[in-house]
Amino acid sequence: MANFDFKETFLNPIFKGNPISVLVLGICSSLAVTVQLKGAFVMGLSVIIVTGLSSLVCSLLRNTIPNRIRIIVQLVVVAMMVILVDQVLKAYAYSVSKTLSVYIGLIITNCIVMGRIEAFALGNKPFASLVDGIGNGVGYAMILVIVAFFRELLGSGTLFGFQVIPQAVYDFGYMNNGLMILPPMALILLGCIIWVQRAVQKDLQEK
Amino acid sequence: MNTNSNTYTVIYSIILVVVVAAVLAFAAMFLKPTQEANVKKDTISQILTAATVQGEDILATYKQEIEAAILVDIDGNKVGELSIEDCEVYDNAGLKKQTIASEKALPVYIFKNGITVVPCYGAGLWGPIWGYIGLEGDLQTIKAVCFGHKGETPGLGAKIADEPSFAAGFAGKQVGSGDILFEVAKPANRKTENNGVDAISGATITCQALGKTLNQWFGFYQNYFAKNGASQPSTEFVIGDIVIESVEPFNVEEE
Repeated sequence: MANFDFKETFLNPIFKGNPISVLVLGICSSLAVTVQLKGAFVMGLSVIIVTGLSSLVCSLLRNTIPNRIRIIVQLVVVAMMVILVDQVLKAYAYSVSKTLSVYIGLIITNCIVMGRIEAFALGNKPFASLVDGIGNGVGYAMILVIVAFFRELLGSGTLFGFQVIPQAVYDFGYMNNGLMILPPMALILLGCIIWVQRAVQKDLQEK
Repeated sequence: MNTNSNTYTVIYSIILVVVVAAVLAFAAMFLKPTQEANVKKDTISQILTAATVQGEDILATYKQEIEAAILVDIDGNKVGELSIEDCEVYDNAGLKKQTIASEKALPVYIFKNGITVVPCYGAGLWGPIWGYIGLEGDLQTIKAVCFGHKGETPGLGAKIADEPSFAAGFAGKQVGSGDILFEVAKPANRKTENNGVDAISGATITCQALGKTLNQWFGFYQNYFAKNGASQPSTEFVIGDIVIESVEPFNVEEE
């Protein structure tokens, strides 16, 4: 691909072709890990690493992969990356890995990873694929962080575990919204994000 | 080269799998010591929670606050000791071994504040569940508990570990005697007076498993409790600022 446009490849999945808000991939994990910013942040970072590296590896292998087992090969590569990330988290960020529990392992089922490998990495050069993978990971992480920001702020009154809503506000009768902690609110917030994005980017609206 | 031939496909997949396996095996071996240290620290922090001991540095706090860490057999006799210097504790694998071992060596952690912590370990709905129970000097009254699980349903069974009011419900309850040592069920289904807590609604199987696990492990320790509990008066620790909250009264739904 001679006319590889770095900016376009990187930024498109973050805004115009965002995997969560436009392609609606990877919804379940985004509902589960967005109660707190810390979890969302680590999860986002893990997905960036997994999408980036597996796209890179698959792109490097793209001309050698036998067509009949290409999905299995992709799966093996993605699984390897996910296990590596999981192992590293268990060793160096144990408390976070405990909160994220099964969801790190479930990155493997995240449609974004396989989707980008199949749609992009197998037909493009390694560097372009790496950028595309990272871009999609960032797009995913960004939505996660936005949702987690509102959920933690309104649900617990904290950000990254630090109290940000002053005690005085509580004394006036303000209460944390317990609904925000529950998964349905993540879906509703996600809906709001999609709404805002579609209002801004008119070309996303269906006729 | 024909990448679609059978030979190529087979050889390719073999090489790929071997390479991936090698990478993962290397990573697992390389990271294992750090991971094990984390798990141990986590176990000790659960023991400390059950002993109502708090501290910044978990290992240092443990060394400072522990009086003795001993091993007892099923008759309640001391059969060994765990090194305090090395913060030696039984991990889940160790506890699992004890549930089936015929010659038991069960850990007992005695803290300087008079609280004795004993573990429990059993099968939950999806995976193992475990816990640490802090008992008063009489070895009958529960002071605090800390439960953990491998993969119970988030929001339902997982509440045994992350619902503070569930753990708070154990405070002040007694370990019974006879057939039923402890119950986790709604009050109407409980056969004893003060030897049980409310189950969590929607988490019936996990709660039943927890009740069974507690019964089994309190059974293991029954002789130890009987031999060592009577010597100390219980009243000293029982009354305090214990808040007993009922969790949720009904457990009608299945997971």
